[in-house]
Amino acid sequence: MSLTRTSLLFALAGVLTIPLLAQQTPAPAASPVQGRAAQPSQSLVEYDDDVQRAAPNGVDFTGEWAPRFHEDEPERVPGPELGDYLGIPINDAARMRAMTWEASIQTLPEWQCRPHSADYIWRGPSPLRIWKEVDPVSREVTAWHAEWLRSVDRSIYMDGRPHPSPNAPHTWAGFSTGKWEGDVLTIKTTHLKEGYVRRNGLPRSDAATLTEHWMLRGDVLTVAAIITDPVYLTEPFIRTTDYELDPHQWVPPYPCQVVEEVDRPRGVVPHSLPGTNNAVTDFANRCGLPVEATRGGAETMYPDFRAKIGAITSKCIAAQR
Amino acid sequence: MRSAVAAFAVGVGVVATMPLAAQRGQRGQQPPLSPRAIAPRDFTGYWVSVVTEDWRWRMVTPAKGDYDSVPLNAEGRRTADTWDPKRDEAAGEQCRSYGAPAVMRVPGRIHVTWETDTTLRIDTEAGTQTRLLRFGSDTGPTGVRPVSDPVDSLTWQGRSVASWELSGRGGGMFSRTPSRPSGALKVVTTNLKAGYLRKNGVPYSPNTVLTEYFNVLGPEDNGDIWLVVTTIVQDPQYLNGRFFTSSHFKKLPDGAAWHPDACRAS
Repeated sequence: MSLTRTSLLFALAGVLTIPLLAQQTPAPAASPVQGRAAQPSQSLVEYDDDVQRAAPNGVDFTGEWAPRFHEDEPERVPGPELGDYLGIPINDAARMRAMTWEASIQTLPEWQCRPHSADYIWRGPSPLRIWKEVDPVSREVTAWHAEWLRSVDRSIYMDGRPHPSPNAPHTWAGFSTGKWEGDVLTIKTTHLKEGYVRRNGLPRSDAATLTEHWMLRGDVLTVAAIITDPVYLTEPFIRTTDYELDPHQWVPPYPCQVVEEVDRPRGVVPHSLPGTNNAVTDFANRCGLPVEATRGGAETMYPDFRAKIGAITSKCIAAQR
Repeated sequence: MRSAVAAFAVGVGVVATMPLAAQRGQRGQQPPLSPRAIAPRDFTGYWVSVVTEDWRWRMVTPAKGDYDSVPLNAEGRRTADTWDPKRDEAAGEQCRSYGAPAVMRVPGRIHVTWETDTTLRIDTEAGTQTRLLRFGSDTGPTGVRPVSDPVDSLTWQGRSVASWELSGRGGGMFSRTPSRPSGALKVVTTNLKAGYLRKNGVPYSPNTVLTEYFNVLGPEDNGDIWLVVTTIVQDPQYLNGRFFTSSHFKKLPDGAAWHPDACRAS
C-alpha cells in the first residue's frame, strides 16, 4: 500500500505539472517558410509537426491573368499619340528625346522583336501567366515567374540571393528579388536595359530601378510599379494596373521573325532633329489641351495643376482616331 | 483505504484541470479587440492623388461621348449621351460625379481618420464629400455583416461596410494557422444614389455594388508611403462586366495644403 501511495503522489505531481509545462512551452521557432526571404532554403531533415499548413506570409499568384484595359485604354492598346506626355514626371532630357522620336524606328531590325521591359510590360496589351518554382525538399517558393505574350520569362528570386555587380549584363527583364510584406509581394528590380515609360518615345534609362508591389484580392491582381530613374525622371513614376484571373486563358507562342520592313540605307535611324517635329503638338490641338500640359513633368501629375490650366472640357473622342 | 485513494484520485483530476479551465476563462473574459486596435497598417493621415493614369478623363472634363476604357453597355451609352451638366446644376445634382464609385478617382487630397473604433472616415477635398466605412459591429472585429443605418436611403456615398482581409488557415492534417488580418481593408458599398463614373455622364445606377481594397505600401527607399485603392464597380444596368480601376495616393506630412472644393457638374 505504501508503494501504491507513493505512485499516486508521483502521478499527482506529474499531472499537475503538465498544464504548467504547456503554458511555458516556448513559441516554436520561426518556420523555414517565414525566413525564406532572408536566408537560403534549408532542407527539412526531420518531419516537423509545427510546420504550418498555411504560409505565414504571402499568397499564391499562380494562374492565368487577363489584363483589363479600364485605365488608359487608348494608350495601352492602339498606342499613345505623339506628344502625349500627360502626368509623367519627365525631365527636359526625356522630353527632348521623345520629341525627336519617330515611330518608324520600330521597323529597324534591331527593334522589331524587342520585348517590353519589366517595368512597361504591365501596361502592355498582353495576357500574363504567373507560376512558382518550389524547392522539392523544403517546398518553399524559391522564385516566381511571370511571362507575357511579348516578353521573355521573368524570374523573381525569393531565396535571398544578392543582386549582381553593377557591371553585370542588363536585360529586358532585369534582375528581380522579392520579399513578403504581409500578403503583398514587394519586388526590387535592377539591371534593366534602356526602355520606355510610354510607347511614344518617352525613354527610361538603364540606370533606372523598379519597385513593384503585387496585391492579390479575390480574383483580382493589382500591381503597383514604381520607376525611379535618375537620368530621365524628376520623381518616382507610379502606375497601378489590374488583371483578372482567367483559368481559360492561354498565352500563345510568339515567335518573332525579323524581316526587312523598309528599304533604307544601312545605318539610317529614323528620327527628327530637335525642334523640327511639329507633329508633337497635334495631340494638344486635337484635344483642346494646353501644349504646356501635354509636355508632362511632375507638376502635371498633381491635382493642383488643374488650378493652373483652369476648367477645361476636352475635345478628345477616341472613336474618331 | 481504497475509498481514500479514490477520493484522492478525484481530487487530483479536479486540481489538474484547474489551470486549463482558468486559461479558457481568461480567453472568454477578454473583450474583443476593436477594428482600430487590430488595424494591420496605418491608413490615417492626409494623402494626395497622383494622376499618372487616365489624365484626360480626370484632370479635365472629358468630352461628351468619350467613354473609352469603360465597359458600358448599350443602355449605358444611351444614358451617357444625354449628359447635360447645366441640367444637373439646375437640379442641384452637381455632385453626381463625386459618389463613392468615382470619388477616389477625382484628383485631390483625402483625409483618413478613425471617427470611432469601428468607423473609418474619409474626407475628400474634391466635392467636400465624407465617406464612412463602418466595420460590422455585431460580428466581431472582422465581420462583414452590414450595420443598420438610421436612415436607409440612397446617397452619393451609400452605405459602406468595412472588414480587414484575413489570411487563409490552410488545410489538411495538423492545420493550425489562425486567420489574421493580412494588410488590406475591404469595403463593400451599396445604397448608392445614381451618379457618374466620369464627369461626362458615364452612368452608374442605384443597383451598383462597389467593392474596394485599400492597401498601404512602403515606405519606399525614398520614404514615400502609398495608398492604393483597387475599385471594382458592378452595375448590371449600365455595365457589361466588372469595371476595374486602381488609384494611388502619396502620404503627406500634414494637412497644410488641404483645400476643400465644392462639387462641379462640368
